[in-house]
Amino acid sequence: MILGLDVGGTQTDAVLIDKGTVVSATKAPTTEDLLGTLRTALENTLGDVEPHRLERMSFSTTMATNAIVEDRLDDTGMIVSAGPGMDPAWFSVGPSYHVVEGSLDHQGFEAKPLDRAAVLEAAASIHKKGIEVLGLVSKFSVRNPTHEFQAADWVGRSFSHVAMGHRVSGALNFPRRIATTYLNAALYGLHQRFSNALLRILTEKNLSGPRYLLKPDGGTIDLEKSVDWPARTAQSGPAASVMGALALDGCKGATLILDVGGTTTDMSVVLDGIPLLKPFGIRLGPYRTLIRSLLTHSVGIGGDSEVRMETDGSLRIGPVRRGKPVALGGPAPTPTDAMIALDLLNVGDRNAARAAMDKVGGSAGLGRIATAERVLETMAESIAASAGAFIYDINARPVYTIHEVLADRRIEPDSVLIIGGPAPQIARYVEKALDLPCRVPHHYGVANAVGAAVARVTSEITLQADTQRGSVVIPESGVEERIDAGFNMEKAIELGRAVLGRQAAGVGADEGDMAISITEKQAFAMIRGYSRTGLNIRLRMGITPGLIPEWERRSRS
Amino acid sequence: MIRASRRTGLVFFPAFDWAISPSHPEREERLLYTQDQVLEEGLLDVEGIVEYRVRPARFEDIQRVHVCVPDENAVTTESHLISAGGCLVAADAVLRGQVESAFALVRPPGHHAMRVVHGNRGFCNINNEAVMIEYIRETYGIRRVAIVDTDCHHGDGTQDIYWHDPDTLFISIHQDGRTLYPGSGFPQEAGGPNAEGMTVNIPLPPHTGEDGFLYVMESFVMPLLEKFEPELVVNSAGQDNHFNDPITNMNFSARGYAALNARLRPDIAVLEGGYAVENALPYVNVGIIMAMAGLDTSCVKEPNYDREYRPQPPEITRYIEELVGRLRGLFLEGGLKRGSWEEGQVAQRSRDIYYDTDQIQERQHEKIRCCKSCAGALSIASTSNRGQNVLAVHIPMGACKACRDIGLAWFEEARRGAFTHVYLQDRTRGVYEGT
Repeated sequence: MILGLDVGGTQTDAVLIDKGTVVSATKAPTTEDLLGTLRTALENTLGDVEPHRLERMSFSTTMATNAIVEDRLDDTGMIVSAGPGMDPAWFSVGPSYHVVEGSLDHQGFEAKPLDRAAVLEAAASIHKKGIEVLGLVSKFSVRNPTHEFQAADWVGRSFSHVAMGHRVSGALNFPRRIATTYLNAALYGLHQRFSNALLRILTEKNLSGPRYLLKPDGGTIDLEKSVDWPARTAQSGPAASVMGALALDGCKGATLILDVGGTTTDMSVVLDGIPLLKPFGIRLGPYRTLIRSLLTHSVGIGGDSEVRMETDGSLRIGPVRRGKPVALGGPAPTPTDAMIALDLLNVGDRNAARAAMDKVGGSAGLGRIATAERVLETMAESIAASAGAFIYDINARPVYTIHEVLADRRIEPDSVLIIGGPAPQIARYVEKALDLPCRVPHHYGVANAVGAAVARVTSEITLQADTQRGSVVIPESGVEERIDAGFNMEKAIELGRAVLGRQAAGVGADEGDMAISITEKQAFAMIRGYSRTGLNIRLRMGITPGLIPEWERRSRS
Repeated sequence: MIRASRRTGLVFFPAFDWAISPSHPEREERLLYTQDQVLEEGLLDVEGIVEYRVRPARFEDIQRVHVCVPDENAVTTESHLISAGGCLVAADAVLRGQVESAFALVRPPGHHAMRVVHGNRGFCNINNEAVMIEYIRETYGIRRVAIVDTDCHHGDGTQDIYWHDPDTLFISIHQDGRTLYPGSGFPQEAGGPNAEGMTVNIPLPPHTGEDGFLYVMESFVMPLLEKFEPELVVNSAGQDNHFNDPITNMNFSARGYAALNARLRPDIAVLEGGYAVENALPYVNVGIIMAMAGLDTSCVKEPNYDREYRPQPPEITRYIEELVGRLRGLFLEGGLKRGSWEEGQVAQRSRDIYYDTDQIQERQHEKIRCCKSCAGALSIASTSNRGQNVLAVHIPMGACKACRDIGLAWFEEARRGAFTHVYLQDRTRGVYEGT
């Protein structure tokens, strides 16, 4: 059996899956006590299932997100070296941020040695503030991590934890590298305490199978091995929904996924079973990061959004949520009240819902039924307008080769999959507003927990080889090797596979079953004067978001 | 969060799958390290810097400017259309008010491409700036445009296209033609009879440094622009004046380019040449983008600047001061000698044009109707060593009736002549015909 658990803003969903079938699903309110919420959800879902029957459990939690949003991060010192370009002072984070001399160029050549005295001085000043966690970042460290290693060597031992920029991602973006390194360092202690506490609960309940945390890219990471990458577990909720949609439906063709919740509707696109990723990385609170994430867009319209009639006779839905629907004792009319008034939903006080609709439509001379219809139509139209803008932005993304310009692969969804509590009630209206066939899968209300349960471990590497400089670097794994002029794409792919395999196993992937795909592959002849002096290879490969083989096999059989 | 004080559009098209030939300076690798630097700086995350996706230009866009011999298919590739199209995207962003200014970081370049195109000259087939400006005039009703070409090579293609246009001020700042390709661009080249003084060439001596360029901007180019009062300023932003450039001899720097850009404040900048792909372009482009966005560029500096940048020698400073004095006299103080043209007279000139990349020899014979009320009807007879013998008639936007009539008469006459191809580019009706 597999357990999946998704902690949401207001509700925590859990499912138990046996042989590809959801055998139990529960919902419980999320409280301020995250561990308490997890414990309750576990107990409710497991009931009297024997612990040894649980082969795997996976959690999408809000620990890191909440810590960032509520600014409960550990004090963290940063030592940063930059070189030419934007002023590094602009990227200051944390209570003790220090810029020191030293720089590398875009190829990874040292342009200026790292200033040892300045690093020591910065470390002393960080210590003086009583700070024990350190982040080290240099510009272009993903091309050559030497300066970060040097600084770690000089001052690292005097700190309880050191995070280095080149390990967070192989992508180029110095300001994001600084922010991401900072978050991983500043969440280190919190995450360690959280995962230990969660492990204690699981051990206490004799749950010893593999345990995973969900990440925003729709992949998972082994709970015990996640200790160095706490920021990678933030903001995983939208990914849980997308992976759930994928698990419950398969998403053939170009599918627009709508997750209609209480306060918001999250949207995303899946192409032939592969979800789209954000181009750079996720934004966490005020921080733009290099953390890989599914491309999702959130709009402030949900089942519990406030419904207002404007003076011009137009309806407005959201983005505010005042509380529960009127039918459930809430203060303001909501789309849920419209569903209840139309008998689409049988909960709460139907008369109260109808009275709420009367009140909304009264000023425009509309009856309760007509008003309720208009509320749901307007809700669907607003969601459709947001979805249109979302798709437009995806198609407006720049491309850099003639091939891509001419191929002009525009994304046009051919169907819509709706999940979330009000999915069946709103589907008919969305179908009309978007003029696309809409489906609602089984277990639409707990798709997020299903997604958390069956998402596989993901991992990614970035390889850059430069035969002129004579080196190949895979920063995420800390690999740096000398190469000769005979190094080529074939060898790069071979090395990349080996390193990725090790790295993925290190975060919990099953070594016997790795679906590696190459996401970017470029080779440039390097010419100096008029002769060829080298080859510049850029390769990105990874285990991309997908479902665990157990689910794929069982659901197919 | 870093915020641009001026909203800036960026159109980046490095054409990672196109080269003139594998070891040519205009190859796949050219903007690779620029992209690395731009990404690593995090410039695309700056609030107010907006990146746009390119679109290919259409033949219709090309035909407003060029006469392609024998036709567009023969002298353009997809890359030329996309590079020119990238400039159209930049233009739309600015003229629709989405951004205050935009930078089209596209390749291949275009400023050596003249009106008649038989092939590739100086790495250029299609004049990106001219295609963009004529699109802007057609679409947004703008008339007075200034082009400031800061590429190290004389912008002879742009000069040719706007030679007769009184509504376009073309200023080229470049390394003296006696020392560099294409060998033209001297002060006495000042525009055709209908546009005298609208072409301004500033040939600078080898080893001109930051001081020299900025002095020329301050004491000559800016006053000239103020006098002209353009509705739109375009910068042909070549980057080969750089002290690290392998094929030129100038002494400019990334900070200098940033300062020049901050002073000029072009509405649209378009990348031209620049072949120090590793140690100049990444820094110059970052400097230009930051300057356009109004960000402080004082930290933009080449890694080898302190070691290898040589300040301008005093004799160069004296030479430039003397040159600027002469240019001011000609263009700002009314010293330019004007021809004694009479209304309706047809002036003629002949010249030889060499296409270095494609090794084509072209001979042109040009006729222009001298006109006080429009840019004048233009006829170009052109023969090449590839066996072409063509005649093209250009009737400019806003042409007067007399010029329109004579242009059409020239075209009809040529159709009966022994040309391999005859073309009519009639901008008054938006018609392009080729036979």
